[in-house]
Amino acid sequence: MIKRYSRLYKVLISQFFKVIMQSKVDFLMGLLGFFLTQILGIVFLYLIFDKIELLNGWSFEQLIFIYGFAQIPRGIDHLLTDNIWLVAWRWVISGDIDRYMLRPMNILFQIISEKLQPDALGEILIGCILVAKSISAGVSHITITNVILFFLSIIAGTIIYTSIKLFFASLAFWVKISGPFVQFAYQMADFAKYPTEIYTKSIGFIITWVIPFAFVAYLPASYFLGVENSLGIGAYIIGVEWIIAIILGIISYNMFQKGLTVYESAGN
Amino acid sequence: MNKTLKIYKPFAMNELKRQMAYKASFYLFLVISLFSSFISYFLWMAIYGSTDANTLGGLSQNEMVIYIFMVYVTSSIVTISISEWVSEDVVKGSVAMNLIKPIDYRMSLISRAIGTMIYQFMVPSILVWIGLEVYKVTVLGMDLTHLSNIILYLLSSVMSFLIFVLFDFCFGMIAFFTTYIFGMLMVKDALISFLAGQLIPLSFFPEGIQRIFDFLPFSSMIYTPVMIYLGKYQGSELIFVLSRQVVWVILLYILGDLIWRKVTKRLVVLGG
Repeated sequence: MIKRYSRLYKVLISQFFKVIMQSKVDFLMGLLGFFLTQILGIVFLYLIFDKIELLNGWSFEQLIFIYGFAQIPRGIDHLLTDNIWLVAWRWVISGDIDRYMLRPMNILFQIISEKLQPDALGEILIGCILVAKSISAGVSHITITNVILFFLSIIAGTIIYTSIKLFFASLAFWVKISGPFVQFAYQMADFAKYPTEIYTKSIGFIITWVIPFAFVAYLPASYFLGVENSLGIGAYIIGVEWIIAIILGIISYNMFQKGLTVYESAGN
Repeated sequence: MNKTLKIYKPFAMNELKRQMAYKASFYLFLVISLFSSFISYFLWMAIYGSTDANTLGGLSQNEMVIYIFMVYVTSSIVTISISEWVSEDVVKGSVAMNLIKPIDYRMSLISRAIGTMIYQFMVPSILVWIGLEVYKVTVLGMDLTHLSNIILYLLSSVMSFLIFVLFDFCFGMIAFFTTYIFGMLMVKDALISFLAGQLIPLSFFPEGIQRIFDFLPFSSMIYTPVMIYLGKYQGSELIFVLSRQVVWVILLYILGDLIWRKVTKRLVVLGG
């Protein structure tokens, strides 16, 4: 079965690449858009560090690492599962889910595999550049364990992103349009670009345990930087990240499946 | 004058009604848009907490709080993206209908933008603004902003609004050449948030770069009214920044006119 799915995924994706090649300018502009937004965030930090030495004890390079690290899972999620947004905004109310229900395949798989969002490459690219740049400035040590944990953390982070998006998008089955909710949750991720300690306790609690974006970026990043955070310091942080990713994954997938059972087609 | 008002007022009123229709999502977006202001707030608090200096970039910590939230207030009434409407009209082809009607397309767009502006001013902006003034007096222990500053700020904001929409109209003309304007919009938003001082006060930039900004219209969009509100401009400097805004309004008006004439000459609409 896995073979069948992966073969289908390849076919669908290669179709999609043809579409991108047709409109190279659009692709480049989208890429540039995301790239520029992030770069300006860095220029902002650069201008700040012209005036101060350390921000709450963090150096410029350390903050760049967190910032870049936050972009990678975000970008991967954006690249692979962008269609979930359409479930939230349009497909439930327009009845487009119908056509997926007619095919003998996993519905979520069909929705996700139908689209790659190439603009996201801008985010992934900038994330990698920033992480590489800060590591070359010596903020973290490259060991085999660290490299493995790095990739594990990025995978878990991506799952957390996708799960949060899927959870709020699934609300659309009940409320018809849940786009604003997804936007709301998604925007919370911006808080995780900086160390959680700069916020008040309650905001810190929300982004650590309620909508756990701190686990996507700041908490694992601070482990790699060798800085103690509110959960202490140690590789177990990546473990907790995985536990959260799995729990959220299960909850949101079930939510989606439950939503499908209450889904009613639109119109004729 | 009266006739013009009669023609374009419905555009503004319609937009106002349209906005009112989607209240729930509007309020949610309002909270979302305040997120980034709160992130900046906490970030700046941490920044001021990390230095012994009383002022950074010419602003004290309290002034920075006012700066952050007045940027929010100003942005919500100034940055109304009419280029998205242009792109919608072009993609749908309804721009053709606008061409055969005896109305000025740009004026109709600006009227719609005024409708949006009034709504955004009434609902989020004024509440955030009042909240800010209350916070200022009770928590920060400062005086209420002087009435003359408020009047000058409002005057300057209206010009900022005109500068923004006139600029955005020129920008929206790109829609006639490409159908995918989303990427361009992102680039525009990113650049404006930076060059207009939404992200960081322009006084944080090195001197040389600030001189360059003086020759661009962006600083007149957000930075100027907010600094006027803070009372950072006095006497001849104040007159200078206000008249610079007037000049930009005139220049962008003429530029938009020229581009519009060029574009409509080569416009091909299929069908209809």
